[in-house]
Amino acid sequence: MGLKDPLMVEGMTQRFGRLLALDNVSATFFPGEVHAVLGENGAGKSTLMNALAGFLRPEAGQVRMGDRGIELGSPLESQRAGIQMVHQHFMLVPQFSVDENLALAKLHSLAGGLRLAQLTRPVHELARQLKWDVSGPSRTGDLPVGVQQRIEILKALSEPSPILILDEPTAVLGPDEVQDLFRVLRTLKSEGRIVILIAHKLSEVLAIADRVTVLRHGRKVAETSIPETTADQLAQWMVGDVPTQLDWQPPEPGDVLIRARGLSVRDRSKVPQVDSVDLEVRRGEVLGIGGVDGNGQTELAEALAGLRPLAAGSLEVFSKKVAYIPQDRQSEGLAVEFSVLENLFISGHQQSEFRWGPFLRLGRARLWAQDMIQKYKIKCHSLDQSVRSLSGGNQQKVVLARSLDHQPDLLIAMNPTRGLDLHATSFVHDRLREAVQNGAGLILLSTDQDELAALATRTKFMSRGRLVADTLAEALRGDA
Amino acid sequence: MIKKIGGFLWITLGLVAILLLTFACLGIPVFRSAGLIAQGSFGTWNDFTRTLVKTTPLLLTALGVLVAWRAGMYNIGGEGQFVIGGLSGAAVAQFAPGLPPSLMLGAILLATVLGGALYAGLAGWLHVKRGVQVVVSTILLNFIALEVLDWAVRGPLQEKKKQLPLTDLLAEGARLPRFSSQNDLHAGVIVAGLAVVIVGIVLFRTAWGYRVRLTGSNPGAAQAAGLRPGRIQVQAMMVSGALCGLAGGIEYTGMTAQIGTDLAQNWGFLAIPAALLGMLHPLGAGLASLYFGALFAGSKNLEAFTKAGSTIVFVVQAVAVLGFVWLSRWSEERALRREAEA
Repeated sequence: MGLKDPLMVEGMTQRFGRLLALDNVSATFFPGEVHAVLGENGAGKSTLMNALAGFLRPEAGQVRMGDRGIELGSPLESQRAGIQMVHQHFMLVPQFSVDENLALAKLHSLAGGLRLAQLTRPVHELARQLKWDVSGPSRTGDLPVGVQQRIEILKALSEPSPILILDEPTAVLGPDEVQDLFRVLRTLKSEGRIVILIAHKLSEVLAIADRVTVLRHGRKVAETSIPETTADQLAQWMVGDVPTQLDWQPPEPGDVLIRARGLSVRDRSKVPQVDSVDLEVRRGEVLGIGGVDGNGQTELAEALAGLRPLAAGSLEVFSKKVAYIPQDRQSEGLAVEFSVLENLFISGHQQSEFRWGPFLRLGRARLWAQDMIQKYKIKCHSLDQSVRSLSGGNQQKVVLARSLDHQPDLLIAMNPTRGLDLHATSFVHDRLREAVQNGAGLILLSTDQDELAALATRTKFMSRGRLVADTLAEALRGDA
Repeated sequence: MIKKIGGFLWITLGLVAILLLTFACLGIPVFRSAGLIAQGSFGTWNDFTRTLVKTTPLLLTALGVLVAWRAGMYNIGGEGQFVIGGLSGAAVAQFAPGLPPSLMLGAILLATVLGGALYAGLAGWLHVKRGVQVVVSTILLNFIALEVLDWAVRGPLQEKKKQLPLTDLLAEGARLPRFSSQNDLHAGVIVAGLAVVIVGIVLFRTAWGYRVRLTGSNPGAAQAAGLRPGRIQVQAMMVSGALCGLAGGIEYTGMTAQIGTDLAQNWGFLAIPAALLGMLHPLGAGLASLYFGALFAGSKNLEAFTKAGSTIVFVVQAVAVLGFVWLSRWSEERALRREAEA
């Protein structure tokens, strides 16, 4: 199992459209180490690991072990070279039994009968050695996520793979399960394997990793050993320098528009996602809410917009006109099969100006929509064009036009510029600033530091459902 | 709109081509058969009235289907709603025989609308509150409706002599008016025609119709805009069931005047391809229903060549829908490419 040579990644470069996801990244992973790859959302961690595991073929760069090169772009080739990846989203079949899932990795040939017990015996043997037993006949979907994670890892380990990549394995685990996982990772390390851990929680990285590579905006900003660094240093590398001075003059804060006290939200399976959040936003204010994705931002935004029931706490909304710009324009902001006109009309059709009893005044609506297209510089050749055929930036302008047009006094926006180019981003920012200048309040939930810095008059960060951290570094440390 | 109508014409041409192909495959003389069908359905005024009378129940159920489908509710239960609608009407006739004739017809039709609406609303409610797939619940509710029909015409709604599994004949005054003693043309045909226009206006010119289409296209967007997609979906199901129930009521008061176990005649199932081939548009559904109505009316003439008779219509429908699904996917991709290039 032990390796002699380190795994070397050299000059990895990958572009997605205009986005440079990886920019000439090199790193060395030594046998017998747990190597953390750190970075914010979109820093390039997953792209790098997907390249290693053969799920994409990078434009440039190579991977070597000693003098042996690994051909990239084929998962099978990467597996042959001993690289196994444990995905963040489980690749398990929930309806299958544990044994059936474990056998999946072994079924390279369809010939012969399915001898589950025989196929999975070595995996169970391994599980016993790790003191990590799983029950073979249980239905996978019924098991707690921690155990599912275990099955996923065992599946990867059942191949004699000297290199194991784990993509944010602790995201769904409780503290005890995390300790359990770390114990197993230490065992694997002591066998001389390479364990690569994609992470964003600094406390965990400091607890388990031997060395760390930090990525930011697709570039490697640091590669060092853990004893030589500190949490603050790591956070600084991840986040970079953030401008502290606002480049616009917000108006004096006015009346309170929304006030939450002890607001808590649970998801469908009753797991708490937002935990006792207090906040208050006035006219002329931009409350920025930052943090790493998946720490309860979506749930908080939806609760504030009145789309989710509260599990506890109170929410007072003093604003009559609330506009919500959802995070995902494709799935929530727009009806993609609808025309530009019909999409602009999603909130407009409720206004009396466009109504005659139950009927719609489509003639008026068209004139108004023409106006919107001019005002928000939406590039389309006809109002009847389906919105699916617009570029992402123009789609977002449709959402923005619709939300801002009837002059809401409270705006709740989630990652309003995700996926947009610089030009469209600054357009969206200008419109949002304009709304605030005119007396609206804005709650801006964003994972983009620069966006928060450009707009927010004050910023808080979410960590595990709590809105308590004052800086991203604090939120990342997770000790708040 | 003009583009839409052009699309419908293409579909109609395609349907004719499929019909001819079906004849060829079955070894029936192609053009003579087609001629006989055309003659049987459009040859004389009386032939044409038979086409219209066959079109009516199909069209009303197809309109019902398309309203639900536009809201993203895949209502397969037109048949059951048709039956429950008809039965509700028969129940009024049975249990309120004292109603004056002038009110009787209105009361029966109202009952058919309500019966269908509630029956479909149940499936909608189960979907929104309990997450039961509408496809599954409406199919199962079809079976229940057919069993209820079987029981009712042998039980509480059976005719006075208690001999046949049928309800009593409706009094003359409680039936839909007819225009001539030469044919079966009844006022329900006009109702169906009006329904096309009304459903079209409701879907495309009212706020409620807009919400239905928005919900069907993306419930997430409807919710984010502050609408309540669940409520809209239940409403759409109820309107859908109301139309299917009305179809049952019109068949009852316009054609059969009594209800037997064969009330539904598969109209509720045939409506789904009719709605689909009409591109879920009322006008398209109207044309598709007229086409299939004509086939039903004309296929009697085919008995000279084959015992298949109206079964051929089912074959044509099935082939047409398969072809349509393939075609619409192809044309959607083409349209997307064009829009992207523009």
